[in-house]
Amino acid sequence: MTFLRLDNIKKTYGDVPVIKGVSFAATKGEFVVFVGPSGCGKSTLLRMIAGLEDVSSGHLYIDEREVTYEEPAKREVSMVFQSYALYPHMSVFENMAFGLRMAKRPEAEIKAQVAEAARILQLEALLERKPRALSGGQRQRVAIGRSIVRHPKLFLFDEPLSNLDAELRSQMRVEIAKLHRSLGATMVYVTHDQVEAMTLADRIVVLRAGLVEQIGTPTELYDKPANTFVAGFIGSPKMNFTNARVASVSGNGLVLEHPSFAGGKLALERPSASGVKAGDTVIVGMRPEHLTVAPAAPVLALTLDFAESLGGSTQLYASGEGDPVIALTSGRPDLKPGDALNLGIDPAHIYLFSAAGLAL
Amino acid sequence: MRRTSGKLFHALGLTAVIVFSLFPFYWMVAASFKTQPDILASPPVWFFTPTLQNYADIFADAKVSGAIVNSLIVATSSTVLAVALGAPAAFALARYEFRGKSDLWFWFISNRMISPIVLALPVYLLAIQVGLLDTHLVLILIYLTFNLPIVVWICTDQFKSIPADLEQAARLDGADQFTIFRKIYLPLGAPGIAVSAIFSFIFSWNELLYALVLTRRNVQTAPVVATSFMSGYELPWGKIMATGTVIVLPVTIFALIVSRHMVRGLTMGATK
Repeated sequence: MTFLRLDNIKKTYGDVPVIKGVSFAATKGEFVVFVGPSGCGKSTLLRMIAGLEDVSSGHLYIDEREVTYEEPAKREVSMVFQSYALYPHMSVFENMAFGLRMAKRPEAEIKAQVAEAARILQLEALLERKPRALSGGQRQRVAIGRSIVRHPKLFLFDEPLSNLDAELRSQMRVEIAKLHRSLGATMVYVTHDQVEAMTLADRIVVLRAGLVEQIGTPTELYDKPANTFVAGFIGSPKMNFTNARVASVSGNGLVLEHPSFAGGKLALERPSASGVKAGDTVIVGMRPEHLTVAPAAPVLALTLDFAESLGGSTQLYASGEGDPVIALTSGRPDLKPGDALNLGIDPAHIYLFSAAGLAL
Repeated sequence: MRRTSGKLFHALGLTAVIVFSLFPFYWMVAASFKTQPDILASPPVWFFTPTLQNYADIFADAKVSGAIVNSLIVATSSTVLAVALGAPAAFALARYEFRGKSDLWFWFISNRMISPIVLALPVYLLAIQVGLLDTHLVLILIYLTFNLPIVVWICTDQFKSIPADLEQAARLDGADQFTIFRKIYLPLGAPGIAVSAIFSFIFSWNELLYALVLTRRNVQTAPVVATSFMSGYELPWGKIMATGTVIVLPVTIFALIVSRHMVRGLTMGATK
């Protein structure tokens, strides 16, 4: 059942379009992540759902009710801000109780709700403190606590972890995932970090320049990116791209030409690429983690530029004719810069895109 | 070594500034406890037998105590009004976009560009016309026009420094504009409000020109009365200085009370 629906939402600042028509629906209890590079409009979109930004055109529904022009408070949503936005002059308890006080709930209920949220987030010992006496992670927890006490229909998170250090970030990521499971609430989460998107999301909405590039589960986006933008954005390190020329097409197969390919050629079975003609340019994508070093049947013949050992794995930076290629391999291969590097890949892991960047 | 000498110079410099600025104040207070011959003695007398005669004289004079009451009424009323009207105006200027906002802002600033004496005569004529001459109200109103821009400037700046996220968080929490102003902006803007209140109070308390022009017998304020001692055939320095000391006292106390709110870093912990 659709719980949150965006119907051709647009936003312009003066003459400048920021959101150019986003349609999307989420079901109840779903964890949706908006991801995209900075300036793609993901935060603006979230703030429009919250009601903090006006919608220029389009319709917005929460729980089957149109809320496009509704006051923020009447939408029954809560939001965790990137900056946390805690009330600095109020104690942790008062910060969390503020929304309930605004709703004029009885004192006993306020106490019970705040106590419950404090228990879930392990804030019991900090209730009397002011925000300035808290660490970053604790402030983050209070911001989340403030949003859960009101039992909103929809939780919104605006890059909530970007101010935390790496260790705390992964810890809070796990806690948010747990929270989502235990509350069973619908959550919309904005981030530019594709790792957060992959690990937290039931579904990811990839945005670029105010438009949706692709919507899908994390594995769908990883396995079947709709275009080179999504392919490059999802996955770390980034997918390697090579522009290759189609030498010949025969039945379900095609032969690609590029000086970096072992023997200059690469033969592929790809029934979906039936529209491609000999002489066309296609973009070949290979994920660093799919490349294997010194395989029986090499696909790429390159020269190693340098290797970064991460301890358990090694990141290899190689180049041939054309763009540099990154490969991620386990262990520590015995290679020096300047050595010839042959890389192999399972043909099923080779992505093909048209010259315009669309998946083939 | 360099650091120690640097600190020493720093301390010396500060001491010089403090002595320079506080000496007149000391001289006034000291003179208020001296007899007339001691005050006029040359070279000045540093050690003297203090007398309370000057204070006894001025408090026996109903004019002085009446003037202090007048000053209190006028300064307090105009300060309270200026803050009550200026702080909400500053909130609007700091947080809302509306047509003519920059013009309004300029108008507030330009109010203080005019030299007060330029307006003294028109204001005097106006006061006669509306029958407000020699009333508390005329002084309260005229001081309000001078104090309001100060309150609006200082508070607008202060309110702008409060993260906008806080207001949005409060909106999502269900707070209306007035609640946001009262529960978020007033407590967090307290330093700015305190500073502007001090400025308003000191201005209204010390103002002499309009107080001289717009009052006769009924509502003379303290500075007017202090200068009135200077007329006639003698200069009763002891009484003038005692009156001066009594005038300075309430402002000092007010500033000390209000300055408790002038703490820095009040919004610390709100964000990041």
